[in-house]
Amino acid sequence: MNAAEAPTLRKTDRTKFFFILPAVVWIVVFTLFPLLYALYTSFFSFRFGRINQFVGGTNFIRLFTDDNLHNGLRVTLVFVAITVALQMLLGFSLALLLNREMRGKNVLRALMVLPLFATPVAMGYLGITLFYEINGPINALLGALGWGAVPWLSNPFWATVAIMVIDVWQWTPFVFLVSLAALQGLPADLFEAAEVDGASSWQSFRQLTLPLMTPILWLILLLRLVEAFKVFDIPTSLTLGGPGRATEVYSLFTYRTALRFFDHGYASTQGFLLLLIVSLIVALIFRQLRTVYQEEGN
Amino acid sequence: MRKQFFSLFSVLILFALVLSACGAPAAPAAQPATDGGPVVDEGQAATVVEAGELVPPVVAEACEGEACFCQDKTVTVIVNTAGEKGPISGPFYEVRDEFQAATGATLEIVEVPFAEHFPKLLTDMTTGTGQYDTSIAGAWWLGDLVGGDYILPLDEYYSDTTGKYPAWDIEDVQQGPRNLLTYDNKLYMVGNDHDGQVMYYRSDLFADPAHQAAFKEQYGYDLKVPDTMQEFRDAAEYFNGKDLNGDSTPDNGLTMHLKVGGQGMFHFMSFAAPFVIGPDNPNLFWFDPATMEPLMGSPGHVRAMETLIDLVQFGPEAMMGWSLGESWDHFLRGQAALTFTWGDLGALAQQEGSQVKGKTGAAPMPGTTEYYDIAAGEWKQTEAPNKVGNTTGGSWAGVISKFSDAPDCTYYLLALMANPAKSEVYAYRGWDGVDPGRFSHYLEPNGTNTIDGYLAAGWDAADAEAYTNAYFENFGAEMQFPYLRIPGTFEYWTALDIHLSEAATGQRSASDALAATVEDFNAITDRLGRDQQREIYIKSLGLE
Amino acid sequence: MRRKTSPVQLILTGGVMAFALLWVLFPFYWALVNSIKQPADTFRPGAWVPFWQFQPTLEHWIAELSILETRHALLNSTVIALGAATLSVLLGTTAAYALARFRFGKKGNANLTTWFISQRILPPVVVVIPFFLIMRQLQLLDNVFALMLLNATFTLPFPVIILSQMIRELPKELEEAAYVDGATVFQGFLQVVLPLLLPGLVATWIICMAFSWNEFLLALSLTTKSAIPMPVIIAGAEHTRGVQFWYVGVRVLLTMLPPIVFALLAQRYIIRGLTLGAVKG
Repeated sequence: MNAAEAPTLRKTDRTKFFFILPAVVWIVVFTLFPLLYALYTSFFSFRFGRINQFVGGTNFIRLFTDDNLHNGLRVTLVFVAITVALQMLLGFSLALLLNREMRGKNVLRALMVLPLFATPVAMGYLGITLFYEINGPINALLGALGWGAVPWLSNPFWATVAIMVIDVWQWTPFVFLVSLAALQGLPADLFEAAEVDGASSWQSFRQLTLPLMTPILWLILLLRLVEAFKVFDIPTSLTLGGPGRATEVYSLFTYRTALRFFDHGYASTQGFLLLLIVSLIVALIFRQLRTVYQEEGN
Repeated sequence: MRKQFFSLFSVLILFALVLSACGAPAAPAAQPATDGGPVVDEGQAATVVEAGELVPPVVAEACEGEACFCQDKTVTVIVNTAGEKGPISGPFYEVRDEFQAATGATLEIVEVPFAEHFPKLLTDMTTGTGQYDTSIAGAWWLGDLVGGDYILPLDEYYSDTTGKYPAWDIEDVQQGPRNLLTYDNKLYMVGNDHDGQVMYYRSDLFADPAHQAAFKEQYGYDLKVPDTMQEFRDAAEYFNGKDLNGDSTPDNGLTMHLKVGGQGMFHFMSFAAPFVIGPDNPNLFWFDPATMEPLMGSPGHVRAMETLIDLVQFGPEAMMGWSLGESWDHFLRGQAALTFTWGDLGALAQQEGSQVKGKTGAAPMPGTTEYYDIAAGEWKQTEAPNKVGNTTGGSWAGVISKFSDAPDCTYYLLALMANPAKSEVYAYRGWDGVDPGRFSHYLEPNGTNTIDGYLAAGWDAADAEAYTNAYFENFGAEMQFPYLRIPGTFEYWTALDIHLSEAATGQRSASDALAATVEDFNAITDRLGRDQQREIYIKSLGLE
Repeated sequence: MRRKTSPVQLILTGGVMAFALLWVLFPFYWALVNSIKQPADTFRPGAWVPFWQFQPTLEHWIAELSILETRHALLNSTVIALGAATLSVLLGTTAAYALARFRFGKKGNANLTTWFISQRILPPVVVVIPFFLIMRQLQLLDNVFALMLLNATFTLPFPVIILSQMIRELPKELEEAAYVDGATVFQGFLQVVLPLLLPGLVATWIICMAFSWNEFLLALSLTTKSAIPMPVIIAGAEHTRGVQFWYVGVRVLLTMLPPIVFALLAQRYIIRGLTLGAVKG
């Protein structure tokens, strides 16, 4: 819908605010107000769970000197980069492969919805049993294929792989489902014309599919990035950030700072740093995305 | 759309069918008695006591009318998650009916995972809500709980002589664990579990002539119960990779639990004690009382960490992801020759499913031949092995929240469970997690109990003797590992836990891990106030 | 895609499909199998197929469901999910209607839409700390009502975006006809738009419910006893006494079944919902 078709409903100016205000007020109360409160607490230190004293910018300075925080940031960035890349690659390839008329596709599509809604924290605990090192099912399967036992939860590298595997399990279907829906929405006549002109599969993929899909792929990327940065449930339940701090993602570190050690002021500043990072990434990608949302909300 | 739904529902119906099919009573097929591993032979299984078979006596009479002083009151207890048949939490389910009948109160049990317990408790207390009347708390939380003025001193209740509450005797608790019940000369905890780590070894393997000969051949001295960390290491190395339980697969020299958040830091404490504590340094392990500078980077600590990390190679790699339960099970299946852990293991070894009943020896932690005297800044040799007792662990016991609206009812509950007749049974059993530490748990002449009680509870006589003697010696040792109970201890120890895991999994060297621990300790101290921390620490050492 | 499919391709795609299915379904199967195994069978290699390789039992299901705390948590989860979804859809529908049918200044609609979408960007850990402190101040910790309100906030973007698109797809003439008959804007909204929107409303409601049900961080941070929902209860399956595979199985399934069933029911709208309206699916 574009501006020329703007609503022509008979309406008073006040009525529209009755409709929009509850949601706006709600969000202001439940996100902006807490954010302001967080800003306030970030200038204080806490002792025995209560505000202790005003510490000025100390908590913000700690952001630059805290190795454990930097570790959390690094772990999160690696996690986000690898899982999102894998999900994009696997999900989109699968969608390309299955974008044809075939039996059973609908069942597959329905079942692919399951992981998206599987409670993440439940998957973490289930993961403990799946990745169990002595006679667990995954190591048993690998053993049957002639591989040795993989130290899934006791080795820093493999523990990182384990949380990634669960995340990839959970979200690859999302990329698949969205890509497939978008692929099927592409104009069929363009492809038929290309075929008549004798274009190979590869050519029509390179010159038609990919350019047409680009905005959607950017969108999927953005949505996945935003969600991936929030990662908390799976490492918390599967490894509790261990071994050492190998899987201690940013949110888990901040959670610990606030609700294990009651250093609420510092935890608030950590939250703002994360918000800043995510906002920057979103701002960068959002430029690529104008076309997708352009038709919206004018 | 409709088609999809059809296929989905067929999946769901299949699922339901599978479920309902399982509803048919399972034929009582011959079940292997263990959590895995080979089947225990029937002769052994028959003598083994099943969990729940042995029940503590009912000691409180049901009340009537006026005597029910807790009518309409609710007592809520928060306890580490372990379920109705699990350590520490189990006895509360067991005592619920008795307590309710005796007082008229209702008992609610809230289970939270170990790592969440202290935070949840402190949250409740900082809000002053008082949802939890009592926490079965770890003794290292007392610095925060007393420091924040969140829990009640219990002296008045304890010395009440009107017979309102069940009686228990604090003098019955051996000195080491008894010290943990009080803080600033006031009683804050009601005796329950008594934690300390001792060494467990497979007595059958150590007595085996073939092993003795092979060991001597290899190491040049007789195979014996390790007295020093070096001997412990040799024995672990020797047994590692050999089949220890007759299932023709190689087993491990030792087992530990080192998962982050799985209480692995206690392993380090029990292990490091004799490297730092000695006759000339009975007290200083954590901080320098003059500056509150952490001592964790001292040469003694570093050597302890290096020695411990060196031992990791003789255990299963999976133990870096294990909590206590998994590590105990490894030993109980006969898959490890040595371990050092709490009293639970010795008692669990007697239970159904154990393959090491009658084969589980116990002794105090091995010692060292030299320790690093921090004050003098030098290594000091000792003639006899330098052995240090410990009370590492939670010694999980009840504290009463200041915000409880029924503190008297709550005290009744805790005192009821501290009753000697109950405590005795708790000590016999493995599954309930309440470990021995009272004279009434020990055999004569150390204590007042006899072997008959243990035998009736299904124990192997030799195991029971070694076990109770090990604990008596451990808690009674002249030198004791200095337990830390200042504010922030939960956080200090969490930092140690994480860095221990880093060292054990090769992410940092031993000295780097300890240097990082020092850095974390300093940050915590600075945040909580160095002077305030120092004052409390000095007081806790009795140096005022 | 529109080319002829060669047998090689057919086998390839069939194989990939089969693998994808196995990959997706295996964890659910494993949870199910564990929930009906005797503890003794848990660590026994090769006990994968019930009846054939081991004798299944329902004892863990019965034991779990007989625990008061678990039943209480199921109830809490239900109350929180239902309440949050209802609130969210109520607030979201009116906002969606406003965005679809009215103009807010020159770029107001676009900006408002972006602002609603941006709520999904906010990492929950950023606001959980002030939430915790505020709720503590208000004595609202451990309160299902508080969790309901907060979950409604985080799911609000879904109904706003999805429903505003759906409303735009409805012909305006219907409302205008109603106005001619003397209806007010509210009446037009209630009597004309809402009935037509019903399937979409139900679908969005279901999506919000699934998201609120699965939420863990807020639930973990803001509950201490009586408001504890299922995702927090699950954590209890890792014991002092080790990981109890059978309880993990039972609790995982108890927790996951409701959101998954919800999701399957709302399948048609899921892609639109999860892409915040960008892809219709």
